[in-house]
Amino acid sequence: MTQPLLFDRIDEPGLNTLPVYERRGGYGALRKALAMPPEAIIEEIKQSAIRGRGGAGFQMGMKASFLPKGEMAKYLVCNADESEPGTFKDRELMQKSPHTLIEGMIITTYATGIHHAFIYIRGEYQLQADILDAAVAEAEAAGYLGENILGSGHSLRLVVHRGAGAYICGEETGLLDSLEGKRGNPRLKPPFPAIEGLYHGPTLVNNVETLGTVPTIINMGGAEYAKIGAPGSTGTKLISVSGDVQRPGNYEIELGTSSREIIYGLCGGPKPGRTVKMWFPGGSSSPVLLEQDLDLAYDFDTLAKAGSMLGSGAIIVVDDSHSAFEVMQKVVKFYAHESCGKCVPCREGTNWTHKFLARIASGEATPMDLDILASVQTQIIGNCLCVLGDAMAMPVGSIVAKFRDELEAEIEAARERANAMPAVETEHLVAIGAH
Amino acid sequence: MPRPEQKIIKLTIDGREVEAVEGSMLVDAAKAADVEIPYFCYEPKLGQPVGACRMCLVEIEGIPKLQTSCSTPVRDGMVVNTQAARVKDAQNSIVEFLLVNHPLDCPVCDKGGECPLQDITFGWGKGRSRVIEPKRHFVKPLALSPLIAIDRERCILCYRCVRFSQEIAEDWQLIFTERGSHTFVGTHDGHPYVAPFSGNIIELCPVGALTSQPYRFRARPWDIEGAGGICTLCPSQCNVEFTVRDDKVLRVLSRENPAVDDGWLCDKGRFAYQSIHVDERITTPLLRDESGELRPVPWDDALRAAGAIAEHRGRAAALVGGQATNEEAFLLGRIVREGLESRDIDSRLSPAVRPGDATVELDLARALAAPALQATVADLEFAHTVLVVGTEPLDDSPILDLRIRKGVRRHGVQLLIATERPSALDPNAAFSVRYAPRRGAAFLADLDGALAGGAASPEAAQLANLLRGGGEEVVILWGEALGAEALPALLSVADRLGLAGRAGAGLLEVPSGANGRGIREAGALPNAGPGYSEVTAGRSAAEIATAAAAGDVTALYLFQVDPVRELPGRGTWERALARAELVVAHAAVLTEGIAAHATVVFPAESHAEKEGTIVHPDGRVQRLRSAIKRPNHVRAGWQVLTDIARAVGVDLHVLTAGMAFRRLVEAVPFYEGLTLEAIGGRGVRWPETDAASALPAARTSPPTPPAPAAPLAAPSNGRLHAGVYRSIWASPEVDVSPSLQFTVAEQLVELSPQDAAALGIEHGAPVQVAQNGTRLSGRAAIRTGVPAGTLFLAAGIARDSANALTDDVVEVAKG
Repeated sequence: MTQPLLFDRIDEPGLNTLPVYERRGGYGALRKALAMPPEAIIEEIKQSAIRGRGGAGFQMGMKASFLPKGEMAKYLVCNADESEPGTFKDRELMQKSPHTLIEGMIITTYATGIHHAFIYIRGEYQLQADILDAAVAEAEAAGYLGENILGSGHSLRLVVHRGAGAYICGEETGLLDSLEGKRGNPRLKPPFPAIEGLYHGPTLVNNVETLGTVPTIINMGGAEYAKIGAPGSTGTKLISVSGDVQRPGNYEIELGTSSREIIYGLCGGPKPGRTVKMWFPGGSSSPVLLEQDLDLAYDFDTLAKAGSMLGSGAIIVVDDSHSAFEVMQKVVKFYAHESCGKCVPCREGTNWTHKFLARIASGEATPMDLDILASVQTQIIGNCLCVLGDAMAMPVGSIVAKFRDELEAEIEAARERANAMPAVETEHLVAIGAH
Repeated sequence: MPRPEQKIIKLTIDGREVEAVEGSMLVDAAKAADVEIPYFCYEPKLGQPVGACRMCLVEIEGIPKLQTSCSTPVRDGMVVNTQAARVKDAQNSIVEFLLVNHPLDCPVCDKGGECPLQDITFGWGKGRSRVIEPKRHFVKPLALSPLIAIDRERCILCYRCVRFSQEIAEDWQLIFTERGSHTFVGTHDGHPYVAPFSGNIIELCPVGALTSQPYRFRARPWDIEGAGGICTLCPSQCNVEFTVRDDKVLRVLSRENPAVDDGWLCDKGRFAYQSIHVDERITTPLLRDESGELRPVPWDDALRAAGAIAEHRGRAAALVGGQATNEEAFLLGRIVREGLESRDIDSRLSPAVRPGDATVELDLARALAAPALQATVADLEFAHTVLVVGTEPLDDSPILDLRIRKGVRRHGVQLLIATERPSALDPNAAFSVRYAPRRGAAFLADLDGALAGGAASPEAAQLANLLRGGGEEVVILWGEALGAEALPALLSVADRLGLAGRAGAGLLEVPSGANGRGIREAGALPNAGPGYSEVTAGRSAAEIATAAAAGDVTALYLFQVDPVRELPGRGTWERALARAELVVAHAAVLTEGIAAHATVVFPAESHAEKEGTIVHPDGRVQRLRSAIKRPNHVRAGWQVLTDIARAVGVDLHVLTAGMAFRRLVEAVPFYEGLTLEAIGGRGVRWPETDAASALPAARTSPPTPPAPAAPLAAPSNGRLHAGVYRSIWASPEVDVSPSLQFTVAEQLVELSPQDAAALGIEHGAPVQVAQNGTRLSGRAAIRTGVPAGTLFLAAGIARDSANALTDDVVEVAKG
């Protein structure tokens, strides 16, 4: 395990303030970057091969290079909506070291010729939004933000904007609509935000952690950074581990670390006497993996090959004290509630699945219904406007496939429970009036 | 922005190579190649696709996921498969998903039988359902407005109505509330959706969620027939399809002709059809008996009474209302000139042009009609700059309001507005300037001076700068209400901008009458015969009023116009009609002037009954066809006129509507070669035909514009400068349409916030407006944008109309 990069002495008191951050060398990367030509910075980021930390895992350098060059109304938007269940890493970074993010954003805007940036932070993160606001004010006062930053000629206005509490606003185009003051609904792509995003201008949207890593990349050099981690998954990753482990929390790991090392080594595994029944490797929208998958290396490509994904780096561990049906119900309830309603397969598919599970729970389903449940999930996957529909259908599909026997037993048990209930006495039908 | 050039490319759909316009959407390219791809949310009229319904998913070679063909522009060499197994699976899936919450109450749904959801379920669904879960429930139906019922259970959330409200009408009244499967369409705080174009959402709805309250349960789709027609309730002349059952019009839909209306209708055009079948409609001839009552009489009696107009040779005059066809105007012109030996006929009937105002010289009329100067409706959308002067499109020609919005929103048109009254388009304009009421001529002279580089007011100078720098294609949309005095300056401005002969540029008039242009071309003007031919000049409408009031004109022929209701100088007109010995009127409803003064009333045809031609303000000759049988004893207008002609000793050689059209074409040189067949359902723009050169050129160069008048002195002590407006709803057809009663225009006195505050008048409070002993009651409408010191009064309305006023300044007080 290498030294933590983002979480290096993260708990040092006062790190959220400028003096402490600067004493530890903060904004050194910015000074270094401002002395470089903007293209060279993009080149360093490309060489680092850092993949987006928000969930999709797209290479940041590549995305930044899609942005049109030249002077125009371009925007950088930091996606701090962090709404994927099980994910809470960005919260800690913003709360404890907000200047890391701000410095990364300034460097990124300098590299891409952007003069307006936003941090779209989820509404529930009030404390973190206040900390960011204070940090932005400090940075402005110190000349890191505003006109002609450190005499470089680069100017940047940075605004912290709080969301109003919708999962869909973590989807980058839904976020942009919300930021524009509209109902947060995803947009049709193409055009991609890099071409037409916020207020129709080219827009770079990146996750907190991704942007927060930029100062590190500049300090180390892209090539050096790329040596950390696994091939195709460079660098360290902040992960949030929750569920049935003894030491849940945020950790910074080197990509490629074994999953068992994370779940058992770092987090202590399930309580004594319990075993891992299933685990979500990348938030509640990732297809579940089993105990036997624990030796997979925790990186983008390995997990994809195993039929799941690294996603936002949120590991949710479920031990054998929970039923698969119960897990599925929790996942489905969340996505049915959060579906924005814009496209049909997601809106109706999540809603139908939700009602379907209610029917199972009330004992009105048969094991054959699992085929319908599974087929509804395949009908959703790939047919939606954004990935929210898939985010429910993939884990649900994987649970149905991997825990079929248990679910069938659950259905039969529910039927028996229902049958055991006393029958309702029915009176003779009463006429309700001539009609 | 000029129209984009179209490049043809080749692509393969289902193994067949087809051609398409590059950049057009795949779903449209497929349709053109006879491959039907189902969809719900796609509607190109609404702008960018949203890709919400996912019904149109297809397979495109080289792209792993299925793509929505509504949002995928075609590329050269693209290979598309609409029949792949996974495409069919996706289509089955979407249909199944749509029906998860749809109530399937088709047997009692008004949309049943003409419902895209039914059709697509039948065509692309699996035919069986696996859903046994309970459906979502809402209270149903709700009155979204007095015109529209909303059934939210049936709604498939396709976004069409909401997009219309937000992106086409730009009223932003319709919104989505809640999310996921609980989402529903509604309005802010549940206010009714009342807007001038609201009815379009009924037609856009692909299910039975939005239905027309007046049409609900009046017919089933297999009971009805569609009949193409044209709405003649305003100069927009939108192309419509009448839904007819048992010779009754039950509904009005838009009929595809984007060059005219872009596929939209206003609520007046959509709902005022009800006036065709109401008790107020006159369906038999009426004759005033000895006791002074108008009583139904047989046609012979009415014709005999009207024929007595022959005794008024040399002392008879005629007015032609905007709903007359070209043929009717032409025949009436011949009756007046040849039979009655009179020169007094007019059709310039603007509520803003008062007695004493100048009349339009023949030369000016010819110069303004010159083919090289005519802009089209579509030019409004693609011009670099549009200048709206002296008209409020929303009231005067509503559908142009939507067209201009579209141009600004989608094609970056620079919109400039110069009006006396605030415009609904002001928020879309790059620059808006207000001039004092009735000072349009002075303002245009000022603007002309600014364009010439002379001294000018700062507003005129800025407008001139924007016009000069606003690109080559400039369209000037101007209103007849500007008055004759303004026209030399208007022509001069057009000349300085070099609009003549430039494609995509020119002038477009908003006449005050629906067929104002055609009626003038047919010769119903005091100083021009058919085709703007030269005649000995007679009296204008205002002069006719004065002459009749003085006893110099003793008989009046009012063809579908009530001057008391529609024209300024109401007092003079009342005296004129009272004094006239014979007043012959064609009318569909008894408005106040006709009811009080007409000797004979012939029942007029509605626009669903007429046969004939009309001319759109951009020169498009359009054809009216009978959609329904004329009710009861109503006879065709041309037929009545030929009878009258016979009575006054003229043989018009007209035995059918077609013959009337041929006589017209013979008389108007620039109509040469036009046939009813060629006009067909889409119309023919005569300025684009070879015969257009037959329009007589103006003999002299237009008179030089007058020098700008000195600005008005600010009135004081509750005295304000008054302008008039005619609301979109100010029409007798609206007055008698049951479901439009909530819109019926009343005297809304538009006041500036400053004046209202000074006078202690609150929004909606009763106010009194007085002038020279005339007193009007109304309600105050405080409107930002009304310049301090001015107010605007509604004209053309049944009660308290501004037509009664004769002077520029009024006194206002709390009522």
